[in-house]
Amino acid sequence: MDFFVQQLVNGVTLGCVYGLIALGYSMVYGILKLLNFAHGEVYMIGAFIGYFVLTALGGASSPALPVAAVLILMFLAGMLGAGLLGVVVERFAYRPLRNAPRIAPLISAIGVSFFLQASALLLFSAQFRTYSTPELIPFSTGIEWGPLRISLVRILVISSAVLLMIALTLLVSRTRLGKAMRATSYDREAAAMMGIDVDRVIVATFFIGSVLAGAAGVMVGLVFERVFHFMGFVAGLKGFTAAVIGGIGNIPGAMLGGLVIGLAEAFTASYVSSTFQNLIVFGILIAVMLVRPTGLLGSPVLTKV
Amino acid sequence: MARIGTDEWVSEQELRTEYYTGLTAPARRAFDRVGPGPRFFAFLGICALFPFLTDSAFLVRVGVNVMLFALLALGLNIVVGWAGLLDLGYVAFYGFGAYMYAWVSSDQLDIHLPTELAIPVVVAASALLGLLLGLPSWRLVGDYLAITTLFFAQIFVELALNLDRVNLPWRDEPLDLTGGPNGIPGIDRMDIFGLQLDDVRDYYFLLLILMALIAVGLFYLNDSRTGRGWRASREDPLAAELMTTPVNRLKLLAFAMGAAIAGLTGSIFAAVQTGVFPQNFEVVLLIMIYAALILGGAGSISGAILGAIVVAAVPEILRTPDNARWLFYGALVAVLVATVRPWKRLAVVAGAVIVFGLAVHGLVAWLWPEGAAGESPGGAFAGLLDSWVLIPAENQETLGNVAFVLLVAAVLCLTLLRGDERLFLLVPTIYLAAFVWENRLIEQPSVTRQLLFGAILVAMMTARPQGLLGTPRVESPV
Amino acid sequence: MRKSGIWLLLALAVAALALVATGCGGDDDDGGAAAPETTATDGETMEAVECTASIGIMGPFTGDVAAIGQEQLNWAKFAVDQFNSEHGTTFSLVEGDTQLDPAQAATVAPQFVDNSDIIAVIGPAGSQEVDAVGAIFADANMAAVGSSATATNLTEDYETFFRVVPTDADQGPTDAAYMVDELGAQNVLIIDDQSSYSTGLADSTAAALEDAGVTVERDSVSQDQTDFSGLASSVGDDTDIVFLPWQVAANAQLFGNQLSEQGKDAIIFGSDGLFSPDDFKIAGSYVSSFAPDITGLDDPAIQELATAFEAEYGDFGTFGPPTFAAATVIMEAAMALCAGGEEPTREAMVDQIQQTNMPESILGQPIVFTDIGDIEDATFFIFEVQDDGSYTLVE
Repeated sequence: MDFFVQQLVNGVTLGCVYGLIALGYSMVYGILKLLNFAHGEVYMIGAFIGYFVLTALGGASSPALPVAAVLILMFLAGMLGAGLLGVVVERFAYRPLRNAPRIAPLISAIGVSFFLQASALLLFSAQFRTYSTPELIPFSTGIEWGPLRISLVRILVISSAVLLMIALTLLVSRTRLGKAMRATSYDREAAAMMGIDVDRVIVATFFIGSVLAGAAGVMVGLVFERVFHFMGFVAGLKGFTAAVIGGIGNIPGAMLGGLVIGLAEAFTASYVSSTFQNLIVFGILIAVMLVRPTGLLGSPVLTKV
Repeated sequence: MARIGTDEWVSEQELRTEYYTGLTAPARRAFDRVGPGPRFFAFLGICALFPFLTDSAFLVRVGVNVMLFALLALGLNIVVGWAGLLDLGYVAFYGFGAYMYAWVSSDQLDIHLPTELAIPVVVAASALLGLLLGLPSWRLVGDYLAITTLFFAQIFVELALNLDRVNLPWRDEPLDLTGGPNGIPGIDRMDIFGLQLDDVRDYYFLLLILMALIAVGLFYLNDSRTGRGWRASREDPLAAELMTTPVNRLKLLAFAMGAAIAGLTGSIFAAVQTGVFPQNFEVVLLIMIYAALILGGAGSISGAILGAIVVAAVPEILRTPDNARWLFYGALVAVLVATVRPWKRLAVVAGAVIVFGLAVHGLVAWLWPEGAAGESPGGAFAGLLDSWVLIPAENQETLGNVAFVLLVAAVLCLTLLRGDERLFLLVPTIYLAAFVWENRLIEQPSVTRQLLFGAILVAMMTARPQGLLGTPRVESPV
Repeated sequence: MRKSGIWLLLALAVAALALVATGCGGDDDDGGAAAPETTATDGETMEAVECTASIGIMGPFTGDVAAIGQEQLNWAKFAVDQFNSEHGTTFSLVEGDTQLDPAQAATVAPQFVDNSDIIAVIGPAGSQEVDAVGAIFADANMAAVGSSATATNLTEDYETFFRVVPTDADQGPTDAAYMVDELGAQNVLIIDDQSSYSTGLADSTAAALEDAGVTVERDSVSQDQTDFSGLASSVGDDTDIVFLPWQVAANAQLFGNQLSEQGKDAIIFGSDGLFSPDDFKIAGSYVSSFAPDITGLDDPAIQELATAFEAEYGDFGTFGPPTFAAATVIMEAAMALCAGGEEPTREAMVDQIQQTNMPESILGQPIVFTDIGDIEDATFFIFEVQDDGSYTLVE
């Protein structure tokens, strides 16, 4: 029982991170039908920014401010930095390709991804950076409640992820901007005709998606501690997978997709075998796709005749 | 190029009577008159001459890489360009072909088939696999198909890594199918009808012949009913289905043909490298093949080949700092020439850049001597640049990094400005680019390669979304 | 329409320029050496010997194991700079990035062979890459001195391949012996990271352990893995030691943290990849390395080198110093040829390197090659990680 609950917690933590990245993918896809392959690199930059803020404030072993303040600053900086980067990328790599066939912005995104990765390597060198979280927040702090043993870091990560997702859902369903985003994703031309500033909505979407990716980056730094220039590639692939599994373009779907992948990974690694973990996870995902061809929560694709 | 929104035949007619102006007009008119056939053979002729023009085994090897890419791009063109299916698992077919060839031509399973038998077996097996993997396309469309095929590609790598300990009930020892992370080394060289293919040069010619045959075959396929059927199902599957085009079967056919070409290429790759390793078939390669195809223009055979040349050859050129330097400054000059017209303006800008550089260099040398005291890393025409580019003796790395970020910002701003303002910003930007290049990028050629490659991809896509030789398309708004 | 013409022209012009560049660049290429820096020489300055040549280096300078490749590259640059300033020679380095991909290695190798200035090569870094290019270098009589490729068969299969580090066949039994004799292990879990370095070492250690009667379990994990909690939780309670022949130290650190988070007692025993005092600091674990911790060695000359390197390039782990040693071997051989009035050709280099006899090296041991090119009397060093994260040599 202990074991099972432990794996549940692991899976949920991982799932939250993947879900946050997937949200960015889903949102951008919903509006632009574009698969933003550079999203993983935005996440990586967010993690690096968090690291640099931490170092600037004295490092994990001797922070200049109380731990809570350090964490808040790291998150804010990471999120803002990532958001700005996302907006810049959109402005220069995707906007000129707004009306081109869908595959052109895809290659542009790939180019941006290579460029950002190489820039990170150039500017930050190939060394792995660690957040050294146990020095900041010791392992022993946490909750022990029956079979549940969660460290404080994980609680922090899970709760902030949940908060962010709730905030996003509220934004999309209750605010004017959210309404504009939804309208633009249904029909861009009609939305423009209704007086919605489509460009501004798209910028806002990219900003929010990238902010979430930046948050995910800082979270990964806190829980898994390693920050390096290549981390965006793998995480980006997994986030993309999560977005599609849940039904791309669908926000709750992205969160669900992330959880599915996270839990699948955690459980296969511990119960089955670590060697075949990836194989089994992919097998599960293929099965999901074959059973529900438009993703778990996706709506069937309607073609206008 | 065809006009958007017009019928193909009409626009081709229009092209023929198009009026060319400028210096290159006679050449272009002659080029058009010649027609695709002779043009293609001329291209093949140049390629065939290439190994004889150089002693360098490296260049021939690059040529082999280029052609492997070209074949892969041609195969992918069928699936993505013609049939419009986003297949992200293409690398799996390539890898499967390579491993299959390894199985039938090496000591791994102790099977050594003669090449004339091995290659057809590999191609048939790959086509079968393509058929199998194409089956999901009946149920999945668009990005969902993409992600499922991506899973297959990743499953392939996982299988290649882990099938080195297969426990079969009738064997005592586990069966080593794929060699795990160590791959399968020691693959036989090819031996076709008595002709031993030992040297890289031999494989170059083999690939050239194959590429020619496949390109010609595809050209005729494109004009056939199947080709038209693919085009129809790409543009509007529902309408095509209603017009009795067997969309599902065509999709499977596209997958199978693409897979067959990829398998063939894989087998030759295995023979050239005399070994196969799981790292050869990762997602990065898939991205490069896509980049090659899209850059060249999806849906166009010559586009696929041209894109492959760009994607496979440019990183190799950028490998050595000397060559990279030529390419960098050459590209700077070329971009200037292309974007700043008329000639007088160009002369003014070029002159301004030189004067600006000398001025800054002189100023810094006067005020902070260490700022200009560093030594240039040497190489082509380094002496010329010494008095123009600023190379600080200390803090080279930090200054270079800062300058790099400033450069990226400046380039982005350039795309926003127009007219004279743009020219004003252009001058310091070029100088900044040279500064970053000399101080930071040239020290790290490997990183610079990737940087430039990414930048080139973005620049080419934003400037020309249809690729170099593609036709501008308008997709139906979703 | 006119615009498209310009673009095609542009593409053609750049392509033509590039062809010209490659054509010309092939012969008079003298590499991208770092701007020579004057560093204080340690010990006496010897007579300046006139010797100019290029040395190639192949490794993963970009990609997911760039951390290892960049460290090797920096140490190689450092070695060349030091040697040049000490001996007055003019050696330069030519980089060849392979991203640990054998296919890229197979493209870089002919490039090096074509470059007539290159007399020897440092690397390649990965065992599979050596498999892919060993024959090419052997045919071209080009010496390749490896500093991290540890698969046992390489020196035997390829005549011009040498290495300054011991092989898996040595490391496995050494580690196993330590685990059994000193740590009294009876139940060992070996987890490899699906790279060829890892599986080779894992197999060798597993065999040695099984011979000693220890129960061995095997598992493997991908290097790309973000989270190791699942893996950590699968470690049994009766497992004494978890052997991690991984390439990425930071992964091991995370794994170790998660092991203790889940309250497992197993001790981590790692191999060279884990030797990285900055990245791997789990107190109570052990790390075996083919190179000593040069900062812990007694020799003041070595200490000076380490400090000088740190001042210029920053921290380093275990893959760097062997590359320094490999570079030094090559440069010493070349200088010996030059001093004897001979031209350092590739064949001459192969013979000269085979005869290398360096009583002292940065690795704290003499460098002499066996007939097939392995280093004689290869020793392994086993370190224990202390509570404060520092490494102490225990064997």
